[in-house]
Amino acid sequence: MLLYLKLLIVFFRIGALGFGGGYAMMSMIIDESARFSITPDQFASLTALDMVVPGPIAINSATFVGYIAGGFWGALFATIGVSLPSLIMIILVMRFIERYRDNKIMNSFMDGVKPAAVGLIAAAAVTIASGVLLLPDSNLSSLFIDPLGTISIVGGAIFIIAAFVNIRFKVNPIILTLIAGVIGAFLLA
Amino acid sequence: MKTDLKTNLALFTIFFKAGTFTFAGGLSMLPVIQKDVVDKYKMMPEEEFLEYATLSQTLPGVIGLNCASFVGRYVGGTIGMLFAGLGATISAFVLMILATILLQFIPQDGPIAGAFHGIRAASSAFILSAAYTLGKYNIKSFFGVILMLAAFVLVMFTNISAPIVVLGAGLAGYIYQRIMTKRNEKEKN
Repeated sequence: MLLYLKLLIVFFRIGALGFGGGYAMMSMIIDESARFSITPDQFASLTALDMVVPGPIAINSATFVGYIAGGFWGALFATIGVSLPSLIMIILVMRFIERYRDNKIMNSFMDGVKPAAVGLIAAAAVTIASGVLLLPDSNLSSLFIDPLGTISIVGGAIFIIAAFVNIRFKVNPIILTLIAGVIGAFLLA
Repeated sequence: MKTDLKTNLALFTIFFKAGTFTFAGGLSMLPVIQKDVVDKYKMMPEEEFLEYATLSQTLPGVIGLNCASFVGRYVGGTIGMLFAGLGATISAFVLMILATILLQFIPQDGPIAGAFHGIRAASSAFILSAAYTLGKYNIKSFFGVILMLAAFVLVMFTNISAPIVVLGAGLAGYIYQRIMTKRNEKEKN
């Protein structure tokens, strides 16, 4: 019971402070997941499942972490936790929308939060990518001494090409995900 | 406010469809929802929807669920909000539990593991490109760049947790705005 309550509270906090949606929540989820003994490798699997399983990423992530920590009920409590702030906030905002629309304090607060959210998402990307791309028994600091012995070459190539193609040509991520899967089946098996 | 069953079921269906057939998170759900809510069912005017869609992204929380709550409450009150919210999240929850269970059966090597590895590499690239896209629209000043870098460094290299960084950034935005307003007032005098 204590575990379920903890999942509820932790994911409520993540939902309430998750400016910028699921991707921005990633760094918080990485941080907090350590409490529920989620390994970096499991986390890398989570990001892959986020792409394959439909729906909001925050819901996917809460369900995953909750399920690993506490089975079905863990998943349910984590998901309710991450969802509640949305419901409460929207009721409040719709009641006060006229005042919210041009609120100077709120706007200046958001002017600070938005760039920070970008930094958080970038940090999540680096943390997750290093879990995926580094070979076993290596770490980020050996990257400069022996790059080829540190990084999975095929994985690194997929990472760089996917990022470039997605940003530059706006190719649908689902198609890129499929292609990456096919390449992986042949070259990373 | 019409809270009849037919409207509520329509709300559930719209968001269930959007939540089931869009991948890569809540942000990609918004265009699908707009088409149904505004064009097909004519539940609310486009202008209103777009304002709520923007708010869904600026407010904290699950973006897809924020949007569902706005539309649901606008159309069918609190009950409508619950129907829409459940529709937006239920497939993510159920399918993610199934995926998490299946994950344990993926063999350690072989083509399936290879494909999954490829998808993991591509998925982490998508997080990086999410940071890039968000940054392009939200970082417009030198102050913004500093906040982004500070958030990245603090989360990556210190023990300061992401929620604290978010709140700190909001506070910094508020203080920055106060200072700029005071400076402008002085220049005027």
